[in-house]
Amino acid sequence: MRQSQPTFTWRKITESKLFFPFLALALILLFDLIFDPGFFRIETKEGNLYGSLVDILRNGSCIMLLGIGMTMVIATGGVDLSVGAVMAIAASVAAIMMNPVIIGVKLPPDLMKFIYDPNFTYAPLWQVILVTLIVSTICGVWNGLLVAYAKIQPMVATLILMIAGRGIAQLITNGVRIQIFYEPYAFIGNGWVILPFSLYIVALVLVIAWLLTRKTAIGMFIESAGINSRSSFYSGIDEQKIKLIAYAFCGFCAGVAGIIASANIKTSDANNLGLNYELDAILAVVIGGTLMAGGRFSLLASVVGALVIQATTTSMYAIGVPANAVLAIKGLVVVFVILLYAEQVRDLVRRITGQTARPSGKGAGS
Amino acid sequence: MIQKISTLVANNRRFLPLSATIAMFFIAYALGAVFADGMRDPQVFFNLFRTSPFYLISAIGMTFVILTGGIDLSVSGVVALTTVASAALLRAGWDPWVVMLLMLGMGMALGAIMGAFITYLKVQPFIATLAGMWFARGLCFFISDDAISINDRIFRILGQTKILIPGLADPVTKQGDYISILVIVELVVLAVAIYIAHYTRFGRTVYAIGGNEQSARLMGLPVNRTKVLVYTLSGFCSALAGITLSIYVLSGHGLYARGFELTIIASVVMGGTMLSGGVGYVFGTLFGVLITGLIQTLIQFNGQLSSWWTNIVVGALTLVFIGVQSLLAAQKIRQLASKKFQSQAKERVTPRQVGARNRQMLLVGGGALVVIVLAVLAIGGAQNTTRGSGASSSTPIAATCQLKPFREEHAASLLKAGAIIAYERNGGSNCIDELYAIYPDGRIVGDDGTRKIEKQVTPADVEKLLADITGRGWFTEEMYTTWHVPCGQCFSYDLTVSYKGQAKTVKAVDGGTDAPANYWQVVSTINGVIPHFTSTQ
Amino acid sequence: MMAESNNHILMMKGISKAFPGVQALEDVDYTLKKGEIHALVGENGAGKSTLIKVLTGVERQDAGTITLDGKEILVRSPQHAQALGISTVYQEINLCPNLTVAENILIGREPKKFGRVDWGKMNVQARQMLQELDVDIDVTQTLGSYSVAIQQMVAIVRALKISSAKILILDEPTSSLDAHETDKLFEVMRKLKRAGVAIIFITHFIDQVYQVADRITVLRNGKLVGTYDVASLPRLELIAKMIGRSLTEFDDMTKIKLESSKHIKGDALLQARGLGHTGAIEPFDLDLHAGEVVGLAGLLGSGRTEIAGLLFGTEKPDTGSLAVNNKPVRNYSPFDSIKRGVALCPEDRKAAGIVDDLTVRENIILAIQANRGWFKYLSMQKQYEIADQFIKLLNIVTPSPDQPVKNLSGGNQQKVILARWLATNPQVLILDEPTRGIDVGAKAEIQKLVLSLAEEGKACVFISSELEEVMRTSHRIAVLRDREKVTEFAGEVDEHKLMQAIAGSES
Repeated sequence: MRQSQPTFTWRKITESKLFFPFLALALILLFDLIFDPGFFRIETKEGNLYGSLVDILRNGSCIMLLGIGMTMVIATGGVDLSVGAVMAIAASVAAIMMNPVIIGVKLPPDLMKFIYDPNFTYAPLWQVILVTLIVSTICGVWNGLLVAYAKIQPMVATLILMIAGRGIAQLITNGVRIQIFYEPYAFIGNGWVILPFSLYIVALVLVIAWLLTRKTAIGMFIESAGINSRSSFYSGIDEQKIKLIAYAFCGFCAGVAGIIASANIKTSDANNLGLNYELDAILAVVIGGTLMAGGRFSLLASVVGALVIQATTTSMYAIGVPANAVLAIKGLVVVFVILLYAEQVRDLVRRITGQTARPSGKGAGS
Repeated sequence: MIQKISTLVANNRRFLPLSATIAMFFIAYALGAVFADGMRDPQVFFNLFRTSPFYLISAIGMTFVILTGGIDLSVSGVVALTTVASAALLRAGWDPWVVMLLMLGMGMALGAIMGAFITYLKVQPFIATLAGMWFARGLCFFISDDAISINDRIFRILGQTKILIPGLADPVTKQGDYISILVIVELVVLAVAIYIAHYTRFGRTVYAIGGNEQSARLMGLPVNRTKVLVYTLSGFCSALAGITLSIYVLSGHGLYARGFELTIIASVVMGGTMLSGGVGYVFGTLFGVLITGLIQTLIQFNGQLSSWWTNIVVGALTLVFIGVQSLLAAQKIRQLASKKFQSQAKERVTPRQVGARNRQMLLVGGGALVVIVLAVLAIGGAQNTTRGSGASSSTPIAATCQLKPFREEHAASLLKAGAIIAYERNGGSNCIDELYAIYPDGRIVGDDGTRKIEKQVTPADVEKLLADITGRGWFTEEMYTTWHVPCGQCFSYDLTVSYKGQAKTVKAVDGGTDAPANYWQVVSTINGVIPHFTSTQ
Repeated sequence: MMAESNNHILMMKGISKAFPGVQALEDVDYTLKKGEIHALVGENGAGKSTLIKVLTGVERQDAGTITLDGKEILVRSPQHAQALGISTVYQEINLCPNLTVAENILIGREPKKFGRVDWGKMNVQARQMLQELDVDIDVTQTLGSYSVAIQQMVAIVRALKISSAKILILDEPTSSLDAHETDKLFEVMRKLKRAGVAIIFITHFIDQVYQVADRITVLRNGKLVGTYDVASLPRLELIAKMIGRSLTEFDDMTKIKLESSKHIKGDALLQARGLGHTGAIEPFDLDLHAGEVVGLAGLLGSGRTEIAGLLFGTEKPDTGSLAVNNKPVRNYSPFDSIKRGVALCPEDRKAAGIVDDLTVRENIILAIQANRGWFKYLSMQKQYEIADQFIKLLNIVTPSPDQPVKNLSGGNQQKVILARWLATNPQVLILDEPTRGIDVGAKAEIQKLVLSLAEEGKACVFISSELEEVMRTSHRIAVLRDREKVTEFAGEVDEHKLMQAIAGSES
């Protein structure tokens, strides 16, 4: 293999997992630049940054979170369709802990009027968050058990929680949409510290995920199990436990996303919260270059993928496309992206950029 | 004797899952009839068919796709798009039959495109049909943001014609049990689908692909062409389902059929079709849809359980079915592996052992369903207090229980006469129409079209009620009207509050996902105050 | 010559086929007469399946010609092969188990009545076709509900009827059949033979060749050893041709082996007593001592890989006991075996060895990392250290340790797998066909390596279908035949006796 310097770096860039997602993002932002130059304007108010770019980051927080968790699941060769429903469950749990009047918890009369008080919460914030995350992780573990131990197909196994989950979320709050008045909680979704607060949470979860997958052997095992289950077994990897932790973490991420989403709208809306988000999350991961069959993954690329989706949506709003029509555009973007990743197109691109076909090393006959 | 039966069972082994599903349906129905009087009305059975055409037709298309081992998530989008597009075209004056044909063509075209992506570009079915769903639903809103109502004569006739059941209805008074034209349509589609699945090469190729796609190719079957056709067929069915939906509700809206595909997939799975492909019967899908409808009916007859229990029960049942399927599949694999060893060890697995295990698994599945159904009904039966919402009613319903118009002029006149709250509630399983007026002096008057009922509370109570309602943001912009297809036994509400110079009317439909959060709190508060009509008899 | 070629329905001449890194076939001839059963044998890696792939259009040959019925042909695809009259019944029964027997036979050509499938007629026709082969079953049941033997019959019927085959290829048809079913199959084959169908019978069961075949072609390492009449080829000679000694340039290795045999310590690192798994391998005893190499010799299917699986824990025994370092083994799993110091380099490196998208470095450290668990992650520096160490030691050819393993040649991939297991520093190292599909130079390297490992005090199990290799590298040889360990040889071995043991009853 000839290795002249320029070709080598060019290939390294194009072959990196981050290339296509960043390219897609750049294309969308370029499109914005042409159609709406004001898109890139950033204002500062009281030390906080505002603008369309910031909007993309803020509104994409939930999908970025879901994408992080979903990446690990897809890398094991599976998928988790229930993340939207788990978001709803998490929101219901959090809301009911802060405001349990709905389920008949009797508060002393003098406290009743405090329900609407932004400083009131029935349970302390740390407890609310802890319990919510535990519940959502348990949901993830449930999925993991079905997939890894009961050997049910992932799409089917997570479909069950997807259907039943919203019912469970409604059950928790007795069907009522609980309003959340507690300010510190609402700050999670609405607050700003230079940048939107939710962004810091996404960054935190990303760091946790990175530590979990790249600073321990878990990441390598996930990839190994996703690429070749049998070889991994022969090497002593316990595939079932690996899958379990992937699904559990996905549930955890969905819980965090549920907290942020419900804090954002200050309601626990079991029917609508996170509706169809799982599809966005899967798409983010696919854009990020992780194959649905499993194997190599990149958390950062999935996050960029999520931003691509969000940027598409925000751009559409910015140039005035009616809200509901955005869905159609999203469908087209999916098609475009999928084509970009389809085998034939990738081979075409490779041939154009002059990369030679790899020696397959396969077919050593018998 | 036992030997004969077990041979019979062994020879028709492949029909066991289907028979189990059918048996479960009848057992559950029987149990329902035992515990709830209203269930014994034959109209309830016919209503299962009357409210299912869009589900069943769509599920039939989905069955074919799943049989090839694929999946079609675009059904809800195509259904919604069909309703909106037809409504728009009809409003513009197009001929209804042309519109219907056009819609079918559109569905087929969408399906074919997705099929091509899946077959030739090797895109995963999941992703391709997902994109299709977004695209289709998005197109709805290019056409119209709001619901468009349909006033076309043909559509009305198709939707509202009652076909009386001979023997159970009186043709003279036009009272009695009936079905609609759409039921005929769905049964015809079912029959055609069964024919295609079992008597055409296309259908058999579908099964072959699901069994082993590579083998099917090696056997020389037209795999690619069949795969594209199967998605085209599913698109056709989704469009047809959309047409039946628009006939049923006489309107079109992009928000319809949300979450539709999940129910469809669950129905197909419960009908015995395996998601891995190759196994299943279209006939089973019929029962899958009926069971889903039955669950909803049982829950609503119960009256105590809220509609979200449907989701939980459907989810749990899907789990049971899938669990059984997985167990049987894993067993098969183990059997084959052990067969290989045992053939080398010169021993054989006796067929009786195999049959026994199958039977065990199905007993487990059936038992689970029966237990769930019993639990649902027991909870309801134990708390059988009379409420306005028809827990027990055995008179056949005279009028169609479709969307009733609100008595808006009547409400307006009540308000003019001094009422501060005019609250109307339509629908439910008994097809009621109750209009209440609450006056500042504490008088509450209710009127259900035939009877009047009165209750007296203190003016202070009324003040408190009004303050509560205002406090929940009634007069803000956050309270808005929504409307969507009502579920079979859901209520529609029309509530006007006039207070301190402001008057606002907000309408909504039960079981919805789109009404503002506080609306339901307001409604439940009002429900707590007003007097209730006892069950009609 | 003219008269002879009229009798030949198929003539393959000078077929060569290379894959990256390995020459699968080199100048192979193969002929088939009308109405004969011609067996094709050879150990794994001999080139049997590649030859068949070329004939059936799955692969295109690099050189050579194929003549069918006097006309030269170029097979473009499996469908084309079928159209030409070449039908194959594979080991995996390429039919649809969820369809009925009748359907599997007739789908694509179903009898129709008024445009719809005529099930009645289809069932009758299918039944008749099967009865021609003396198989009488209920054709309305799903194919999957029948045994593999029956499924094979159905596959044969379809192959013959649908494409009116002139040539029928049976690829390892008896692997999943018991004795009775095998006899039945042979009857059918004879019947077909009498009807003029030419049958290529691929098998590794030597006995069966003698039962039913007219001629036999032996391949070895991609080359043609010869084509013989079964009637005039004694069994032992056949075995010799399949696995026997050929000209070798490694004579100095015998000297090395003799020297190292002095270093064998007395400790038994591993002891298997009556260890067995019904249907896979009969109960056997085996001792492994530090410093020795035990070879497992035997034909394909004799149970070598199954023994490896039991020792390493990928298979659970149902009789007997296993002790490592005098401690009885309770948990059978790769993870536990690695912990105990037992490592297995598996036979199928593609399916159970390499993780192809991972880099060389990751593949090498995979097992040690798995053994350390999730949280004791080897630092990057350590990983590169270990990788470099083994790249050097085993002479792995790769531009860098970050190269995805799938880009390496077969031989180097094998070395990477070997490195992975060596890195776990095992006491017992089991190597199942470590030199398959590798160039000659690499083969010698690996053989030398095995002996040096023994010298370091490890116990090695060396499994190979190349008899000379086994003899060259082992201190002791255990012979397996028909899923049973039959005997052991130690010290200097008489090759003739060894082959007799492998071949079984004299012929």
